[in-house]
Amino acid sequence: MKKDILALLSLALIIAVLIHGTNIQSVDEYYLTHIDDITPQSETVFISIHCDTVLQNYDELDKALQSDKYVPQNGVILPETEYVLRPGDTVFDILDRAVRYNKIQMEYQGADKNSYGSVYVQGINYLYEFSCGPLSGWMYQVNGEFPNYGCSKYKLKDGDRIAWVYTCDLGKDVGCIWMGDETG
Amino acid sequence: MKAFGGYHPAVTFTYFISVLLTAMFVWNPVIQLTALLGGIMFSLMLVRKKAILSDMGFYISLFLLVAVTNPLFSHNGVTPLFFMNGNPVTLEAVIYGIFISVMVVGVLFWCKCYNEIMTEDKFLYLFGRIIPKMSLVLSMALRFVPMFKRQMKNVSRAQKAMGLYSQKSYVDRLRGGIRVFTAMISWSLENSMELSSSMRARGYGLHGRTNFSLFKFGARDAAVLLSGLLLFVVVMIGVGSGSVDFTFYPELGKISLSLKSLITYISFFILSFLPFFIEVKENLKWKYYISKI
Repeated sequence: MKKDILALLSLALIIAVLIHGTNIQSVDEYYLTHIDDITPQSETVFISIHCDTVLQNYDELDKALQSDKYVPQNGVILPETEYVLRPGDTVFDILDRAVRYNKIQMEYQGADKNSYGSVYVQGINYLYEFSCGPLSGWMYQVNGEFPNYGCSKYKLKDGDRIAWVYTCDLGKDVGCIWMGDETG
Repeated sequence: MKAFGGYHPAVTFTYFISVLLTAMFVWNPVIQLTALLGGIMFSLMLVRKKAILSDMGFYISLFLLVAVTNPLFSHNGVTPLFFMNGNPVTLEAVIYGIFISVMVVGVLFWCKCYNEIMTEDKFLYLFGRIIPKMSLVLSMALRFVPMFKRQMKNVSRAQKAMGLYSQKSYVDRLRGGIRVFTAMISWSLENSMELSSSMRARGYGLHGRTNFSLFKFGARDAAVLLSGLLLFVVVMIGVGSGSVDFTFYPELGKISLSLKSLITYISFFILSFLPFFIEVKENLKWKYYISKI
């Protein structure tokens, strides 16, 4: 009996730790209704999300996604918008805030879940990696260049321009020349 | 009462293969629910109800486990219920999880029926000549779980008789279970070696040996085989034409109710309830004859 109680207690402890480590938010809490106001003194960055390449490879796209709802006709998911840069913000922080504010769906793999030690963006607006052929996925650009590392490692500075682009050919079709592995 | 088991092995084998293929590879809720119901009804005919009830606990916990795990790892879907660590837990993922568990449990029920009907001698009768080694390995693999369960019961009974881990404490019982399980692993490895050498000692696979049981292919076998194949072909044509396609992500699709898909659903319904009907028919016949005596 004593052993049973001990086992039960340790089980309860594990569950408590797991629950404590999980951050559960309701839908309203997750989507931001208000974002930092831009004042003349505040540092800002620009972010845009595009999926133009999908339009050129429309027949390769997953059948369930072949709709204007998921792939807009002009390929723009989020037009270039200005957001306040908080100290220490990375590309991922800005993306996270932008999609929460604009109610765009986004799924990512946490930095602790892969060997690169950086967040990996799996899908934006229901458009996932491999949704449009085997070489497709999300990549990011800062000031027109593709950094060769993960988006939660790139620290931003005032005036940076971030562009999230969907590639259907490992980056070749969006002008990425280093042809590395998937980053995002 | 195994009226369906009286049919020629070729008939029953083809039948099970066609049902299992459909149940495993067609992603449509109607087809999956039909397969699950058909499997449950058929196994109710074959196995004692008590045995099914005792297995129910396992099936329900497996069902819940699969249904809950999917939304934790798959975040696609247009209807978020709540957000966990910044990723959504969506309605679509929950439904997809339930769908997968219906599929898994349905296939498990059909495998149970398969084990009851296609005994080892039947399997060896079918394939022993053509692919002797392969068929021996396959028949050993297919009977592995039931045999494992039987032997496990024996070992744990022996342990109990020796007075080991016989306290009421759950922890002790769990430890006893683990001990029995490790014993079982080595036993099953040893057993498979012994089995194959004993089969060799008996001259298995040599030229001119006859089978343990013999079957005759009669008119009723041909009737069931043909009707089963016909239904399977109709279902496969329906699946191939895409009339029963169903999407889960990012938004749940609609269950197609066109003429083509209705024909597919109905033929799969008849296909999966075929053995059930045969069993019921034989039972009625039996009762009728008894009442005449």
